[in-house]
Parts: sequence; structure tokens; C-alpha cells
Amino acid sequence: MNIRSHLFYAAILTGLVSITPLLFADQWTTPTKEELSMTSQDGYPGIAAVYLDRDEITEDKLHVWSVYVRLKVLTEKGKDYANVELDYGSSSNGGGYTVNDISGRTIHPDGTIIPFTGKPYEKLIERTHGAEGYKHMAKVFTMPDVEVGSIIEYRYTLRYDDYWYISPTWYIQSDLYLRKGRYVWKPTNKQLISKSAGREHLTNSIGWLPILPPGAEVKQSRLPPVQSEVEGQLILELNVHDIPPAPQEEYMPPIGSFTYRVRFYYSPYRTTEEFWKAEGKYWAKDRDKFIGPGPKVAAAVRELSTPADSQDQKLQKFYAAVMALENTDYSREHDRTEDRAAGLREVHNTDDILERKRGTSDQLTELFVAMARAAGMKAYLFALTRRDRSIFTNYYLNLSQLDDDIAVVNVGGKERFFDPGSRYCPYGHLDWIHTYAGGIRQTEDGSVIATTPGEGYSFSRTQRIADLKMDDHGEVNGTVKITYMGEDALSWRHRLLRGDNQSLQKELRTNLEHLFPGGMNVQVTSISQPEDYEKPLTVEYSVKGAIGAPTGKRLFVPADIFVSNSKAVFPHEKRQLAVYFPYPHMLQDAVRIHLPSSIKAESVPAADKQMFETSALYVLTSEQKPDSVTIRRDLSLGDFLFPPKDYPNLRSFYTKLETKDQENIVLTNAQPIDRAKSISPSN
Amino acid sequence: MIWNLNFLLRKSNSRFVLFCCLLSPLSARAKESVPEWVKAAATQVLPAYPPDTKAVVLLDDTTYTVNLDGTAIEHSRTVIKILRPQGRDQGLVFVPFDKDRKILSMHVWSIGPSGQEYALNDKEMVELGYPGQGNLYEDERIRAARPPGRDPGGVVAYEYEQRMLPYIAEKTWFFQDSSPRLHQSFTLELPAGFSYTTVWTHHSKIQESDPEDRRRWRWEINNTPAIDLEQVLHRPSALSLAGRMTVRFGPSSAVPKDGWQGIGEWYEGLSHDRLTAIPEMVTKARELTAGKTDFYDKTEAIAEFVQKDVRYFAIEMGIGGYQPHFAADIYRNRYGDCKDKATLLSSMLSTVGVHAALLMVDSRRGVIDPDSPSIVGNHMVTAIEIPQGYDSPKLRSVFTAKTGRRYLVFDPTWEKTPFGQVEHELQGGYGVLMEGPDSQVIQIPLLPPTFNTIYRVGHLQLAANGSLKGRVTEDRFGDVSDRRRALYTHGSAQEQNENLDHVLEQDFSTFKVSDVKVENAEALNKKLTLSYNIDVDSYARAMGPLLAVRPRVLGEDAPEVDQKDRKVPIDLRQTIQVNDEYDIELPDGFAVDETPNAVALDVGFASYTSSTSVKGKTLHYSRTYTVRQIVLTPQKYGDLRKLSSLIATDEQSRAVLKKQ
Repeated sequence: MNIRSHLFYAAILTGLVSITPLLFADQWTTPTKEELSMTSQDGYPGIAAVYLDRDEITEDKLHVWSVYVRLKVLTEKGKDYANVELDYGSSSNGGGYTVNDISGRTIHPDGTIIPFTGKPYEKLIERTHGAEGYKHMAKVFTMPDVEVGSIIEYRYTLRYDDYWYISPTWYIQSDLYLRKGRYVWKPTNKQLISKSAGREHLTNSIGWLPILPPGAEVKQSRLPPVQSEVEGQLILELNVHDIPPAPQEEYMPPIGSFTYRVRFYYSPYRTTEEFWKAEGKYWAKDRDKFIGPGPKVAAAVRELSTPADSQDQKLQKFYAAVMALENTDYSREHDRTEDRAAGLREVHNTDDILERKRGTSDQLTELFVAMARAAGMKAYLFALTRRDRSIFTNYYLNLSQLDDDIAVVNVGGKERFFDPGSRYCPYGHLDWIHTYAGGIRQTEDGSVIATTPGEGYSFSRTQRIADLKMDDHGEVNGTVKITYMGEDALSWRHRLLRGDNQSLQKELRTNLEHLFPGGMNVQVTSISQPEDYEKPLTVEYSVKGAIGAPTGKRLFVPADIFVSNSKAVFPHEKRQLAVYFPYPHMLQDAVRIHLPSSIKAESVPAADKQMFETSALYVLTSEQKPDSVTIRRDLSLGDFLFPPKDYPNLRSFYTKLETKDQENIVLTNAQPIDRAKSISPSN
Repeated sequence: MIWNLNFLLRKSNSRFVLFCCLLSPLSARAKESVPEWVKAAATQVLPAYPPDTKAVVLLDDTTYTVNLDGTAIEHSRTVIKILRPQGRDQGLVFVPFDKDRKILSMHVWSIGPSGQEYALNDKEMVELGYPGQGNLYEDERIRAARPPGRDPGGVVAYEYEQRMLPYIAEKTWFFQDSSPRLHQSFTLELPAGFSYTTVWTHHSKIQESDPEDRRRWRWEINNTPAIDLEQVLHRPSALSLAGRMTVRFGPSSAVPKDGWQGIGEWYEGLSHDRLTAIPEMVTKARELTAGKTDFYDKTEAIAEFVQKDVRYFAIEMGIGGYQPHFAADIYRNRYGDCKDKATLLSSMLSTVGVHAALLMVDSRRGVIDPDSPSIVGNHMVTAIEIPQGYDSPKLRSVFTAKTGRRYLVFDPTWEKTPFGQVEHELQGGYGVLMEGPDSQVIQIPLLPPTFNTIYRVGHLQLAANGSLKGRVTEDRFGDVSDRRRALYTHGSAQEQNENLDHVLEQDFSTFKVSDVKVENAEALNKKLTLSYNIDVDSYARAMGPLLAVRPRVLGEDAPEVDQKDRKVPIDLRQTIQVNDEYDIELPDGFAVDETPNAVALDVGFASYTSSTSVKGKTLHYSRTYTVRQIVLTPQKYGDLRKLSSLIATDEQSRAVLKKQ
């Protein structure tokens, strides 16, 4: 989904013939003694650098965005911030900006000032040609004589082309600590026209999405009117201080788009509700135009189904038909030339997708919706924010936050959700990135903001079974069968789509090699139903090699060989953010080792059961017979999001099961098991 | 931001990602004539290739026409057939250029798997700059195209002509890479009165055609196998194995007999005036060496200044890829790339009476071949001449030139290598000593394992419930300390804590760390010492009356191996010596029932010994792992497997305690 908006000034700006250069050259900040001598930032030991000041001022009348940065280098790594690369560019269809007025200086801890006298280098990033061509450049410079303790100070302006306006985004939080930040926008009071997907809107308001720390707010003020102005200049200003670096932790929620920031936009709408109602309605109608259904889809539906089929049976057939088409998101996008050469016209609707027998994930979803509608069912499109990338918010008035489409179909009076764009996703299920995801969906009379359902832990399940025979030297030989279901199978099938059987086989082998003790010989013997998305994906292996550590008369064998290489999930005691796993799932292991008569089991791990509230369950059992040992291990995770307050207990659950997983089966042999003695150099 | 410039919002260091964002507003022309040479190449019957072959180069023809003024025109034709979905990217066309290598013409065609033919027009090609990764500016660009029909069975072809302004009268033909190549040729055209010499690297010499006019020579190679190292463990650099031919040309009277000497003389012309020191540099050098009389002490002071106080930032335009900036500018700005830092170091040393030369090397060991003079190399370091008769155990990376003069190799770009040593990437490889008429190729010494060490000691107490407490101290010296030094000098406290957690999670499932101390992180010539207390729950496992305890408390050293047939040499990266000593005080009421057997294996290039003993109530574990050689023949892979298996088994071995 790519909805772009264009803003430009409707009138001819005859009055704006010159832009006053900003007189910043002498406006440097004298550092305080504390700033010169500081070596660290309280509360953030070892941090590479600190923004002492960051000012951003956007003046629409001047078409200028000026930036001022003052940064203290605290470590060797902090010197990297002396290298600056500023993007700029222009496009063939109008609009662009340049970077100007770069100046700067370096101040040593002793107060010595080294002015930046170099010339920024012009660097090409990308240039394309044609009506929609563009040139993307960067100005590159590096500050002189920067050492640990230096203060780097520089400023520059971004100058936008006439008739083009910006709505700034203030990124307050970064990877560095910010001591003081000041952000100002002086928006134009001219009437602007917003162009979006061929539509034009007169903008009449400014909106913003503030994600700010407590106490910080965007303040509005207005200067007295000048000359013929009805209203004086509006000023939006934000002052912040002591902003910590954006947190980074393992298993963190996708909050990259929710660090402290303010997103502004010119808007023809006055309220959030108004925006989503109007834009959602337009989106729904626009998509309906594409969906149709047209005559070719209708004919295909007639061919695929019989009148005797139930709605569910029909839908399953349509789903299977869409699944059989090429999803170009997993292969390659075809351009117009290839379509023309194949006698295909430009894509205008789902008939065209059907005719091509290929499409993007979104196009295939739309085709599925079209087929359902052609069969007389109520079917809708649902555009959502992918859960692996970000989180949908209706306070951000922009449809660009929506990534993917899924389908909603009323089957027998009940709405069900389908994911035909995620190839090989089982019928009636969603790829995990589309579960519990927010967005907008079509309704009978427009659109509505909604959330997708999730999948239970039993949907995504992996069963791993090892049947091994041990010889007198403690080496095993046998088979492994791994059955992937739900999301676990889908992820492997997507790998198949991006490669081929050869690469899938290699990845499956490598995956098991990494689970097993080093040095084991692993071969894939069969892959069953790799493309039958309604069935589990089953992989069989033959394995051979040493799995235990011998002492003189004993052999210590990992109880569950599938977790013998696993490491602690949560090694860190402290945590700031919630824990966010991809999806609920279940892992079931069964390992049986057949023992030779010379080897006996002296000890096997005792049964164990651990629970974390009602969200996670671990069960380990063992079965000891004279000629075999069997270990069964089940781990079920029912939730995917755990708030920070739950972290200590969640961590405790994992450490307990990881400790249990480290227990061994102890085998004894009548003859000493000394594998080392059999090893000698080959030459 | 301006909303119609979405591309400006993309933050990417990946050329490929940028390219993928290319819109295709104008379409390639279908059914326009694909040249006969493309069709002929496309219809060839392919030999059997390994099943994981992604694409094959059907044709690669280069004609290099040298003009009297030394400029040249390069004309190239390439045809590629895609065999697997993963080969689609190899159908993307990239031709690098800059102001001294201007593209005069470029054409791209493709044939889809169905046989549909396409021809791209100029407007469908894009220009890309190289991503700078924040510390590099260079003016090299790429003209790129994304032809239609790039699917398995499809064929992509391109032809271009480029005007070259070579900095040296040399051209290298690279004729082997990760795809197999069916037919290749290189044609050299020289003006009257010119002659040439060739050197072949990693390939036997091919006889060129001998034309009657003595102006045009042609080399042909068929069925060149791929060098696919993607899944190879301990792999050498692909370029250290790939075949290439370097041709040097010029007026018949001027072609030098010794290629290395010619390269050195050429480079001296580029760099000589860049070495001039200015008074501020003299003052600084004197300040750094004040009170120092010993050669090592003086050179170390200046070398560490350039190593630590001049940051890496590269600006390369045209000849700037080879020619350093002026030492004075580098000194004033306190930044530069590798050749800048080497130049500044040489210049400053000269102000205190120490001679140093630039040494061109390649961080991909084996790429510089002593028998194949060329300017192929990717890095510049310094060779500091050692006064006659001077010796010191601190001077380790020392070589003796043919002139009898001894030099110390030092890399001021490598921030964490102690002065006196050189990073392992360069050890055992070759370099070109730029000493004017005395220029020559030299081998950089392979340092003994004792200069690259890890020494872990633990004094620990085991409780009857299986928990383990105590203090661990780890000393590191040499290259194996550089990441840790960087972490403890550059990293935040959070990064340092998380790193230690990740190190310990390799061996413990539940643990607490406290009282972490780090010593000598900045002092490169001293051991970096990291010490901490650990408190590990359930370290020893109870099994009825038995308690099983792993004597090897920390550290996993078994080299990774696989079971595949080994066909390429093994590169173990670095010589190293690892020692572990752990004393575990046993709980009251338990006696040792069994300890792991001692093991010892020496396979020549490496050795491993370990032993576990009981002294009173203390379990003592000791081991030493030594790697002495780093480049091994494929035949040694079996020994590496045995070594790996032995170490992995030993690391998991248990001592068994029995309740009394």
C-alpha cells in the first residue's frame, strides 16, 4: 500500500521572490565549564555522545528548515558522530530540496576552537530517469580534529523548492541522550492543495501526533498580524530536555515508530474521526473499483464451484485457486514490458490479476475477495499494520502506516478472516504478522477501524521425534522426524517460495545441525507435502554421530537432544520493555535411545512441570526400560506479549526449564567409554 | 518531509535495496532485436553443474584497446543464464565508473524463460553511488539495470564501452568468481611500438593467439569452474583462489623487468610529496618522544598517536583511491583513510630520524601473490625500518628485505593492535614494500601463538545443592583482545553488561554476575584483564547419590566443522593459545567417584591437552589449546574434525561426586 500526498501552494507566489539568508554564522554557543569538562552522562555510563542542544526550525514562508546540533563526544565511538551525511534531491515531476549553509566547529575540552573550513562533498545516492525520475544526493562532511571530549557544533539548512511545503516530523528520541531540544514550526497561512492518488483537497488545518515524555507539549502561539494579514503567524514550538536514548532490548515490541516524536501534517480534516471516516470511505471505494468482480472473475467462479457447494466449500475452492497463482512478493515483480510482451494490458482490476496468473500479496487478496463476492458472499478487504514492523494507531492520520491486506468473508452468517496473500497460509488462518493487528476494513457502507483475531497456541506446533540406536562406543544412529504445523510450517514454506527444493533441503539440514551436538552427520531423507498448505510439513532425517560426554565408566547424554545447544532466552536480570514473542506456539519433543546390552541407564532426569501463570507450560517426562530410555518434553506458550512487571517471573520460568533441559541421562558401560583414545592424527 | 520524495526517507546502506526501489516508469522494448552474439551464447548446451549453481556466465568477452597516450578503451560483452531462483540477483547489471572511467555506451538485453526478448533503453538504467557507511566518501558510481525476464531459464546480456584513464599501465583480467563461466576471452590491442608482459595468478598460463600484425592478442578460457564458498567453514578469501591475469604494457623500451619494482616506483611518484612534514608535526613528534631515547619507545609513542588520535574517514576521488592526502592536512584534520594514516605515521617518524615506508597489503590473505606483480591490494600499512643492530623482544612483526634492512610492520588503522604486532588478517600474507628502486614483495610474518592469548582462571566453590560460586579472571592479549578492548573503551555500560551475560549464557543457564573489573583496556601492550564473581544455580546436577559436575567451567574452543568433502584450503584466521585453569572446591560429604580422562592430541597445526585431577577437596581442571598454523591444505580437514570432536567432548565431560 502506497498512498502519497502532494502539497503545494495553490496561488502563484509572486511575493516570495527572495529568501532571506539565515544569519547563523556567528551564533555559536559558548560552552559552559561543565560541558567542556564532562566525561560522562549521569545514569548512562559509557554512552558514546550526548546532544547538548538540538534546534530545528521550519519556516514555511522561507521554504527553509534549519538545523543546529551541538554534541559532546564522550567515547571513541562518539567520534563517529563527527561524520555527517545530509540527504537532498529532486524529482522530475517537481519538488525537491537542497542542503545549504553548512558551517561548524570543533571545541576541545581546553576550549580550543577549530572551525570547519572544509567543503562538503557531493555524493550521488541514486539517479533515475524518465517522467518519474529523481536524483537523490547527499552532502558529506566530517568535522575537524575531533577527539574524545570534543564538542561538535554544526548547522545547516534544508531549502525546499517553491510551491512545495513540508509538514515536519520532529524526531526527539535517538540513540543518544538529548540534554536540550527546541523545535519550531512556522506553518504557512496560505491555502494549500493536497494531492493524493489523483484527488485534490484544500487543506484547512494542521494536525499532529505527539509522542512525548510527561510534561512535554507542543505549544501554539500567534504573532500579531502584519499588514494585510487576517491572522498573525502561527508558531508551534516544543522544548524538551533530558531525553534518554531510545531503549533497545531483545524480544522488544515493534515500537521503532513510537520513540518520542511529533508528526505534523497539513490536513483537510479537523478531527481524527473525520479523517478515518472520509479517507477510509475513499479507500474502500477505490479498492472496490479494483476488486470488482469483473466478468473473468465471475466466469472463473462459475467454473470452480457448483451450485451444490456450500459457501465454505466454494470459498475453499477459490482459496485453493488463488494459492496456486504466483505470488510475486516471493518471486519477482514483473514490469510492464513483460506484460505487454505476453499480450497483457496494464493491471486495472482483479480480472487482470486472474489473467496474469500472478500478482502481489495484496492483489491476490483482492482477487480472493472478488471471487467471494462473485459467488454472492459478503467479502471485504482489511488493510493492516504488520505486527512485526509496527503498531497501528488511529491517531496518526496517515494511511501509509498500513502495510498488507487480508480478506474478511461472511461465511454462513459468520465473519471469517483469510490470508490468501500469504501464500501457503492454511485456509481460515492468518500469518502471525497479520494477527492481533490494527487497521481499517471495508464494511457495507464504508470502512471502520478494526483489529484482526489471533491464533491459539495449538495452531503453531512443532513435533520433533528422534529414534536413535546407540552402539557400544556411545555413538548413535537413527532417524529424526520433524513435523511443522501452522505458522511453523508456513515460515518454512515461505523459504521454499524464496528459493527452491535444493535450498530448502539445505536450510532444513543446517537447522537440525545447529540443534544437535556438534559433529553429528545429518542428512535430509524426505520432505513431505512442502506445498500442501493444509497439511503439516514433515521432514525426515537420518542422523549419526556421538551425542554424549564420556567419563571413564559413564556416558552423559543430553536428555532432550533437540535442546542440547540452546542458550538462555533471558540472560539479563533487568528489563525496561515488555517481552514480545512473535506468536503463541507449542513445541513437543520425544527422544528414544535404544541401548546396547553393554550399556545401562544409571540415571535419567526426573519428571518436571513448570508453569507461568496460565500463559506457559513446560512438562518433561522420562521412561526408562532395560534397553531404552525415552524423554518427552512439551513447551507451550499461550501468549506473545508480557508486560515488564511480569519479566522476573517469566525469566524465572525460563531459567527453571533451561536448567532442567541441561540435565543428562547417565549411562554406564561394562567397558570404559574412552572416545578420545580412538582419535589420532591422520598423518 | 515533502511527501512526493519518499525515496529521500529511505535509510539504507545497501546498494541492492536502493536498486530494488527503482521505479520502472518506462518500459523496456520487447521484441527488439537481441544481438546474434547473445542468441548464440544463449542457445549453448550447458555442461552438468552442481545442483546448487545459481547462474552461469555463458560469455564474457573483454577487449582492451590501449592508445598511444596511455588511455584505453574497454569493450565488454557478458551473457548470464539464471539457473535457480536465487540466481535472479545475478541478472542485475552493475557497471562501475567514475570520472576517470567514463562509460561511452551501454546496452542491456534479456531473454525470458519463454524465449521473449527484451532490450532496455537508457532511461531504464539508474546511477547509484557507493554507500559510505558513515566513514567513507568516494566518487565511484555504478550504472545499473534491472532487466525483465530474470527468472530460472532466463538470460541477461550487456555490452558496454568505457574510456579508461589508467593510473598505471596495467590491466587485470579477473576470470573466475562464484558462478561457473563457459566461454571467456580477453583481447589486448596495443599501438605500434608497444609491448606487454603478463602474470597469471592462481591459474596456469594460457597461450595467447599470435596475430600477424603484432597489435592484437587474445586469450581464451573455457569451462572455468565456480569458486562458491558461501557454505564453506574456515574459508579463505575467494579472490585468494580465483584465477586472474595481469597484463602490463608500454613502449617496448620502457616495460620494467621487475614488476614489483615498477609498482614501487610508480607509487613513490604518487606519494613522495605527500610525506612532507610541517613544523607543527615536528613539534608534536618531539613532544611525543620527549625523554625517550630507545627506538621502540620513540616509534611506539608516535605510532600510538596516529593509531588512536587520527580517526578513520576516507575521501577517495579518482586517483585518491591510491594516492594519500598530504600529511599536513591529515595531521591538521586528524582524520584520514589507511594510506593517509600510514603516510602521516611515516612523515612524523621521519621528523625524529626514523625511516618508514608504505606497505601495500591485502586483508584477504593470499590475494597478493609474490609471483604475480600487480596493484591488486586493498589496504596500506607502515613498514618502519629498524636501526641496524637494534633488537627488542617487543618487535614482533619484523621482516628483512632483500636489501638486508629490517622493518617492523605496523597498521595504524587497526585501532586495537599493540605496537610491535600486526593484525592476524595480514599475517602470513604478502605486501608490496614501497621503497622506490628497492621496492619488492615481502611476506608478513606469522606470529607465534604466544602473542595472541586467552588465559582464564577460576577459583570456585561448589555447594551440595549444586550451585557454584567464585571468581573468574580472564586475561587476553593480542588480536583476541581487540573486540573486548573496543567494548570496554567504546561501549556503554549496558552493552558491556549484555555482552558479559551473553558470554556466560553459553555455559550457564542461571547465573548472577557481580564485582566486574576491567584493567588495561586502553593499554594495548598489556593484558586486558576482565574479572568478576559468578553465582551459578544448579551447576552440578544431582542424580540420586551422585553429583555430576563439569570441570571445564567456561569457554568453548572447539573449531566449527562439518561433514562435507573439503576441496578448498582451510584458513583458521589466527594463531592462538588458550589456557584454562579452574579450581573447584568440593562440598563436604562428597567424594570424587570418577573424573574425565586426560586427553592430548597434536595434529601439527594445532594441539590440545586437558586433564582433571583431585587435590584434597579441590577438583582441578587444566587445558591448553594451541593453533600454530593458519593456512592448511584441504587434506587436513579430517584432522580438524578430530580435533574439534575431541575438544567438544572434553568440554562436556563430567566429574562424578558420590555422597559419602
